[in-house]
Amino acid sequence: MDDQTPATTLILALGNPLRADDGVGAAVIEALRDHRLPPDVELLDGGTPGLETVLYFEGRSRVIVVDAADMGLEPGEWRRFTLGDATLKSNDMGLRGTLHYAGLAEAIALADAMGALPPELIIFGIQPESIGWEPGLSEPLCAAVDIVAGKVLAEIS
Amino acid sequence: MTDMKINVHHITRVEGHGNIVVNVVNGELEQCDLAIVETPRFFEAMLKGRHYSEASHITSRICGICATGHATASLRATENALGVVPTKQTELLRKLAFFGEILDSHILHVYMLVAPDFLGVGSVIPLAKQEPEIVMRALRMKKLSGDLCAIIAGRHTHPIAMTVGGFTHYPTKEELLDIRKRFEAVRVDLKETVDLFESLDLPAFTRETEYIALRKPDEYAFIDGEIASSDGGTWPLEDYLSVTNEYLVPHSSAKHAKNKRNSYMVGALARINVNFDKLHPHAKSVAEQLGLAPVVTNPYAISVAQVVEIVHAVEESLNILDELVGNCLKWEEPVKPKRLSGEGVGAAEVPRGTLFHHYTIEDGVIQKANCVIPTGQNLANIEADMRELVPTILDKSQAEITQSLEMLVRAYDPCISCSAHLLNVEFVR
Repeated sequence: MDDQTPATTLILALGNPLRADDGVGAAVIEALRDHRLPPDVELLDGGTPGLETVLYFEGRSRVIVVDAADMGLEPGEWRRFTLGDATLKSNDMGLRGTLHYAGLAEAIALADAMGALPPELIIFGIQPESIGWEPGLSEPLCAAVDIVAGKVLAEIS
Repeated sequence: MTDMKINVHHITRVEGHGNIVVNVVNGELEQCDLAIVETPRFFEAMLKGRHYSEASHITSRICGICATGHATASLRATENALGVVPTKQTELLRKLAFFGEILDSHILHVYMLVAPDFLGVGSVIPLAKQEPEIVMRALRMKKLSGDLCAIIAGRHTHPIAMTVGGFTHYPTKEELLDIRKRFEAVRVDLKETVDLFESLDLPAFTRETEYIALRKPDEYAFIDGEIASSDGGTWPLEDYLSVTNEYLVPHSSAKHAKNKRNSYMVGALARINVNFDKLHPHAKSVAEQLGLAPVVTNPYAISVAQVVEIVHAVEESLNILDELVGNCLKWEEPVKPKRLSGEGVGAAEVPRGTLFHHYTIEDGVIQKANCVIPTGQNLANIEADMRELVPTILDKSQAEITQSLEMLVRAYDPCISCSAHLLNVEFVR
């Protein structure tokens, strides 16, 4: 598994499908599985890997992250952005506190420090309605899944 | 130096919330506390009235790091209560998942939480800038340990395949062979890890205390055994309360513990002090290379002891993988309970020390539960170290004293709580 050269584009879903709309990334990945993708594109439901997200960046020319993101928008609204467009607010950017808080923002900061960011990193953020303790997406998020999947497809085609 | 107040509100690079409070008046140490301000979690109350089969899944949620450890101690308590004797294969698989967790936790601690102190950088971010290969190595090793937990126990954290009497899912031979190959390859990273820690200087501080760990006649104990003390004496698991002697102190929401002295230590260093003779030969030679010759009384050496256990866990995992593949791992139904009522104690050496679970079950339903966690057992000992350390370094600056105390607390790798998170984004306009 580790001996193979990784596909150059990784589409990486982050989040926990047991926490309601936090599962939107995984749902977008599932929607993309129904499509024929270029051979150098890999889909990965990454779950909640914390700092180990950095390992997924290794050797990729492009990583597209799909994740629920609190952007102060209406539920189901989405944005495509790169690191230059936005500030990812960290729970603990210096990683001085408990590493339990480490998420995408911290992983990106760590990768940046190590010079391990992929040449191209694109984030599709989708505003959640709820990240409660139950599986299943809310209605506005369900409606967003196919739209975001379409935009990701357009990005890689 | 006449008067000084140190108040570290929320010690960093530990799991959970604790404060250091030091008050020196006229050159005399008046107060030196490790205050635990974490809210109590009431897991024992949650277990009451639940079916025995749920206990390991509920208690694995006590910790996002020691989830397999809690599940294992929980299963052993239930099995002892209900007369279940797991098969040899179950024991091997449980050990393997357990080693995965020991590795994951120790690697996180020595690399991400402790190494920045010794390399003179404030956190892992500047470390990543200065030494990217060190951080990449840590992430690589952590991922391997997580992947081991996942193939054996069903997922990285919070094992789902471990159940009373056995497993509900088994890895394939291909998965075992693949992970074996990766464990073989990780030896290079192990050597680098040992070399790194050999190059670091520990603060010179020693204080003799009582060291407590589980002990078994034929192996370095992680699951089951009897309770052993460096001050002499062994106790069967059922007598754990006469060892832990928990009591309340006003400045901590976690209980303190004491046995023969006013405090005792559990964890990697205590295990090495009690069980050095049972270490894997490679781990033993690494201990010698790193200057660990029991009895080691420098608490800062806990991190070095963790490095030794990392080597032990990798070597033992390779042995178990060979045994499982050689014996042709087979599907086994979980062993059924002989009875549905009883009382049992389960114990395991989780990354931070000895963990006890104790259940009373009636007609399959839990009536009473008690969990004694390692960090609680260590708190009194950490404070005793702090109180002996501070008077010896009063000539140093307040910042230096604070740093020494934080490093001391961090060495114990205290695990005070767990939490959840969501990515927050603010757009640049």
